[in-house]
Amino acid sequence: MSEAFTKSMARNIFYGGAFFFLLLFLALTFDTINALPKLDNRAALESPVGPQIAKGKHLWEVNNCIGCHTLLGEGAYFAPELGNVYKRYGSNLDAVKGRIKGLISLPAEGIPMRRMPRFKFTDEEIAALAEFLKYASEINTSGWPPNDQG
Amino acid sequence: MQYQSQKVAIPYFVGAIVLFVAQILFGLIMGLQYVMGDFLFPEIPFNVARMVHTNALIVWLLMGFMGAAYYLVPEEAETELHSPFLAKLMFWVFFAAAGLTVAGYLLVPYSTLADITGNELLPTMGREFLEQPTITKIGIVVVALAFLYNLGMTILRGRKTAINLVLMIGLVGLAVLFLFSFYNPTNLVLDKFFWWWVVHLWVEGVWELILGSILAFVLIKVTGVDREIIEKWLYIIIAMAFISGIIGTGHHFFWIGTPEYWQWWGSIFSALEPIPFFMMTIFAFSMVKQRRRNHPNRVATLWALGASVMAFLGAGVWGFMHTLSPVNYYTHGSQLTAAHGHMAFYGAYVMIVLTIISYAMPLLRGRTAANSERQQTLEIWSFWLMTIAMTLITLFLTAAGILQVWLQRVLDSPLPFMAAQDQLTVFYWMREFAGVMFLIGLLLYIASFFVGDKEPEASVKTIA
Amino acid sequence: MTATTATIGCSSQSKYPSGDLAIWVFILAELLVFGIFFAVYAFARMNNVELFNEFQQHLDLNAALINTWALITSSYFVVRAVAAIKEGNSQLCVRWLLAAIAMGAVFLVVKSGEYAHHFGQGINLSTNSFYMFYLSLTFFHFMHVIMGMVILAAVAIKAHQGGYSASDNTGVHTGASYWHMVDLVWLILFPLVYVMR
Repeated sequence: MSEAFTKSMARNIFYGGAFFFLLLFLALTFDTINALPKLDNRAALESPVGPQIAKGKHLWEVNNCIGCHTLLGEGAYFAPELGNVYKRYGSNLDAVKGRIKGLISLPAEGIPMRRMPRFKFTDEEIAALAEFLKYASEINTSGWPPNDQG
Repeated sequence: MQYQSQKVAIPYFVGAIVLFVAQILFGLIMGLQYVMGDFLFPEIPFNVARMVHTNALIVWLLMGFMGAAYYLVPEEAETELHSPFLAKLMFWVFFAAAGLTVAGYLLVPYSTLADITGNELLPTMGREFLEQPTITKIGIVVVALAFLYNLGMTILRGRKTAINLVLMIGLVGLAVLFLFSFYNPTNLVLDKFFWWWVVHLWVEGVWELILGSILAFVLIKVTGVDREIIEKWLYIIIAMAFISGIIGTGHHFFWIGTPEYWQWWGSIFSALEPIPFFMMTIFAFSMVKQRRRNHPNRVATLWALGASVMAFLGAGVWGFMHTLSPVNYYTHGSQLTAAHGHMAFYGAYVMIVLTIISYAMPLLRGRTAANSERQQTLEIWSFWLMTIAMTLITLFLTAAGILQVWLQRVLDSPLPFMAAQDQLTVFYWMREFAGVMFLIGLLLYIASFFVGDKEPEASVKTIA
Repeated sequence: MTATTATIGCSSQSKYPSGDLAIWVFILAELLVFGIFFAVYAFARMNNVELFNEFQQHLDLNAALINTWALITSSYFVVRAVAAIKEGNSQLCVRWLLAAIAMGAVFLVVKSGEYAHHFGQGINLSTNSFYMFYLSLTFFHFMHVIMGMVILAAVAIKAHQGGYSASDNTGVHTGASYWHMVDLVWLILFPLVYVMR
């Protein structure tokens, strides 16, 4: 066995390297957290519709929307991207609400295509979801997606 | 097998394979839903099938890791496990929690499940891969703590090898990072940013340590190469994994509201992420080439080599393909991501768990070194069927992804999502057939445990 | 481990490359990362020459010159430390290492002063792409200097305890190789970021 390459040195490089890059990652994280207020549309969260957005995000989660859709490109690839759906529908909240309402009230049988589950949302809940999607569309995503189709 | 307590690995391995079957069946359901949109609607909507598919995968891999740890830690530490009873108990807790969670997914609407399980108190549900009810998450933490305690006490009492230490670091990291799944702010960007601390730092961070240590353990056993050499490789590989992978997290921070500099940091470091996987391939092949004995369990060696190659292709090559931010701008959140995800998970983690099962199960079932010739032949068939099927799935999804990106994002007048999807149908059908092939491979794999298990062991002489 | 290296360490004088081979794997990886960073910097600059030239003038060239001097000097001290241990003079080796560490500290102090100046003006990674690269590259290197100092300190402690000898000094070579790498990277970084127009 070649003594030029010792196990203890390999181990030290692992510990040193891991620690070093962890520190660097934490430093970048720190900078990111400080930079986020300019990018993440938190003004909307602090505005009067803030509670509605929070409710919308909660509804988004407890109905597992991410199980079919992507949001800012993350999620499942079965159904359209919704991070920019507000813009796709002409930046019009009523259009988004109408679309959701239409999709969840299609008949259960006889439509041989990808289906959205027939969620029983109230009008307030649909409004909250729409506000959440509007908030998401106004996050600064460095120009992604390339076009309105998502 | 040298220590009685290693036997606690058996239920973990069996449980893992049971969930593996569930994962594949639900994968086939989803694959069919891609081409027949209303298949099983409204009984099993796509999102439910997907939850079962991904969650079963994660849980069975965790079970496989735990089984692997219970098998190899006592042998490496040269002592019996601290508490075999605790290990068995935790298996049943874990398996019951997984079963109840899957039943919950299938029997009631997800929002009802959230209500029943008290998600309101600490909302953590409904985020990709972390869909489990909060109480299941707490259960996972409890199981993980008991598991780490059990292993920690064993290692403290016994021999401390590099393999044991690296495995422990990986497992502790896994548990610690999982805690970020309990952080779920309303701020979507913060939510996503720290969500990746679980997801990325698992699969492209600490899991690579677990992968590396299991691979190193099996290679020591099947090749007889000196431990010093193997452990040296292990350290260098995992050092490279962390050097590239930690900052490599940045390749998820391109388009989610995080600062633009991540496009540079993320691209540069994630471009290096194939290196540890490439080193792993070189490592596995050169150890087998330098082997000091021919091990009668040739199929375990095959899995080990296969894992190193497929991990490099899936995680390394397919990952690199769309990791640079100018490319990712177009490919982000498309079927290309799915293609990469499938092959990377199969190559890096599914195959390593099957490697350790393949090596350990014959010993746990009372063989002295290996299964019978017939069992091994069957298992080799299953290896090739599953591996080729997964390669095909990846290729078809890649084709679908490229076409999707072209139609939906590059064209001057881009198609809407659903219109683009309609153009991909032929690839989705081919993917589904490849999926059936995978299932056949998996069934052969299970058969290899039973067919020919009364026949005598294969010996080195019978190997051509 | 120490015992085995001691018995076979007599070849370390003529060994090439110098130091533990593992550190060379690491050094190559590091140079690869820096190499990519430099290439990316050049690429980004090419697309935005005016911006880069304009903000380059806001950098403190004198501070960078002092730092270049500090690192080159420290590398010289490290060379002396290696020479000392080759003659079996552990205490002299320790003194040269401490001198090298001190020069590293000079670098850190001067560089911190520069950072304080920038941060005082409210500059951060998101200010513009020049500052993004300038801060990223120099901070990444800054952390390497700290890392190098930690390594040199570890070597110095071991040398102080008599852990190395004229025949067994791979550790000193290893630490020295790493430090020279850190120095080398700065010698590319300095003209690239501060001087080149």
